[in-house]
Amino acid sequence: MVVECEQLKKVYRKLLAGRSKDVCALQGISLSVAKGQIVGLIGPNGAGKSTLLNLMGGLIFPTEGNVSICGHPARSIEARRGLGYMPEHPAFLGRYSAWATLRYHGALLGLPRQAISAQIDKLTEQLQMDEYIDRPCSDFSQGMKQRLALAIALMNDPRFLLLDEPSNGLDPIGIIQLRDLLKKLRDAGTAIVISSHRLGELEKLTSDYIFLYRGEVVSFGEKIAAGQIGRLRVELASNANQIAKKLLPPSKLLSSSETELVIAVGDDNEVPDIVSSLVKGGARITGVLLQREDIEDIEDVFLRLYNERN
Amino acid sequence: MRAYELMKETFSRKIYIYIVHLSWFAIYGLFFTLRVHEEKDFHQILFIWGGFFLPLALSAGIFGDDISSGRICVVATKPFWLGELYIYRLLGLSLQAAVHFVITGFLLLIIHRFTGLGYIDDLGAWLFSCWLLFNTWAAISTSLSVVVKRAYNFIFLLAVFLFLASLNSILSWNNPDDAMTKVINAFGKYVCPPFTLLTKMVEGEYSKYSLIVGKYSSIKAVACVTHTFVLTVFYSFFGVLLLSRRQFTCSRE
Repeated sequence: MVVECEQLKKVYRKLLAGRSKDVCALQGISLSVAKGQIVGLIGPNGAGKSTLLNLMGGLIFPTEGNVSICGHPARSIEARRGLGYMPEHPAFLGRYSAWATLRYHGALLGLPRQAISAQIDKLTEQLQMDEYIDRPCSDFSQGMKQRLALAIALMNDPRFLLLDEPSNGLDPIGIIQLRDLLKKLRDAGTAIVISSHRLGELEKLTSDYIFLYRGEVVSFGEKIAAGQIGRLRVELASNANQIAKKLLPPSKLLSSSETELVIAVGDDNEVPDIVSSLVKGGARITGVLLQREDIEDIEDVFLRLYNERN
Repeated sequence: MRAYELMKETFSRKIYIYIVHLSWFAIYGLFFTLRVHEEKDFHQILFIWGGFFLPLALSAGIFGDDISSGRICVVATKPFWLGELYIYRLLGLSLQAAVHFVITGFLLLIIHRFTGLGYIDDLGAWLFSCWLLFNTWAAISTSLSVVVKRAYNFIFLLAVFLFLASLNSILSWNNPDDAMTKVINAFGKYVCPPFTLLTKMVEGEYSKYSLIVGKYSSIKAVACVTHTFVLTVFYSFFGVLLLSRRQFTCSRE
C-alpha cells in the first residue's frame, strides 16, 4: 500500500475557547490507497475532505491515529520525497515566471540543476505551458495557475499524488489533457487521491471513491467503473490471478480467483479484445459470460448516500 | 541550489523590497547631508533606521504572506527539514542587509568626497553594529512571522517595542531606583536586541575599562558581538521550533 490511514481523528481546537467549541473534522477514519489506484474523495462541504488531504500531505497533525506514506510517517522527509501535492487555490510569487517557479520548487526538492531543466522541459511540453512559461505568474489565468500547480506537483515524479479540485478553471481541452495525464500516471503505478466536486469528471477518471460525511467514511471502495456496461466473467483452467496481474490494468479488474476473472467492460467491442489478449498471454479459457448491469453513476451514488443521511 | 533559491527569494519576493532599500538609502542620504544635527545624531539615526526599522520592513510577511496565501502548503510538502526554510530565509535577509550597508557606506563616502557634507568618522564601525542589530531584530521578526499571518509581524513588533520603550522611559524618569525599573532595564539590556551595548561599543565607551584597539575595547567588543550573535541564534531557535511544529491549512484568505 502506498498510503495507509489508521483510526485517523482530527479535532480543531480554538485558542482560549472551551472544549465545547471543538470541531471534530474527522472521526476515526481508516483507509488505504494502493499503487496504481485513483481514489476519488467526495462529500458535501464540511465533510472533512480537505482535512484528510492535509493529513495525508503531512500539513497538519492528527489528534489520534496515524498516516503513513510508503511506510513512513506522513510528515517525515522520506514520505515527502515521493509526494506530489496540488492545492485547491494554488498561489505563487507574482514576480516569478512559471519557469522560475518550477526551478524554485525543483531546488526545494533537492534536484540538481540539469535534472531541474530537463524536468521543466518535459512538463512544459506535457502540460502545454510553452506559451506562458516565461510570463510572470501574476498575469496568469486560473487555468494557467492550475497547470503550473500540477507541474509543481509532478516535478519529482511522485509515487503518491494528492490533488484538490485539479480541474478548477481548466478549459475543456485542459480537462481532457489532465484526464489523459492522470490515467498515464496511474498506469505507471502512481497512487492518486483526488478531491473534487465535479462528479462527472471524477467518474471518467476513477472507479474507486470514498464518500465522506461529517468526518466519517460513509462508503469506501465501492467500485463504479467509468462508463461500465457490465461485467465479463472469464473462467480459466488455472493461474487466473497471475495472468490478470500481467495483462489487465488494476482499474479494469473487479475481482479475481485462481480460476475466474471478473472484468469491467465499458463497450461491447472490448470483449473480443480482452479475450484475445488473454489467450495471447497464455490463458486457457474455459468459459466467457458477459453480464449486463444497470449500474448507478457516481452522481446517483452521491445523492443516494447524501439523502440516506438527511 | 536550495539554499540559493531560498536566500534569493527574500530579495525578489516582492517589488516592495526594492522600494524599501531605495527609500532607506534616500533617508540616510537626507540625514547625512542635513547640517542641522551633530555627528552623533546622524550615527544614531543610521543605527535606528538600519538596525531596527530595516529588518522589520524587510521581514514583514516573510512567512505570514506565504501562510495567508496558502503557498506554504506546497513548500511544506517538499522533502527537506522545515528548519532549513527558516535558516536560509534569515541568512538571505542578513546577506541583503550586509550588501545594503556596504552600499550605504559607499554612497555616504561618495557624497562626503564630492560635497564635503556629513561625517564619516567611525562609519564602518557604525555600519557593522547596524548589521549586528539587524540580524537580531530580523530573527525576532522572522520568528514572529511564523505564527502571525500576513505582514502583522512588523506592526506587532513595532507596537510592542514602542510600548516597552515608553514604559521604560516613564519608569526611569519617575523612579530610577525602583526594582521594577531595574528589571525592565535589565530585560532591555540582555534579552532585547542590544541597542545600548552596541552603541556604547561603537562610541568607544568601553575603552576605559580594558585593553583597547584604536579607541575600542577589544574584550568588550568581542563580548558585545558574541552577545548579539547569541541573541540572534536564540530567537532563530524559537523560529525553527515554531515552524517545524506548525500546522498549515490551505484555505486562502
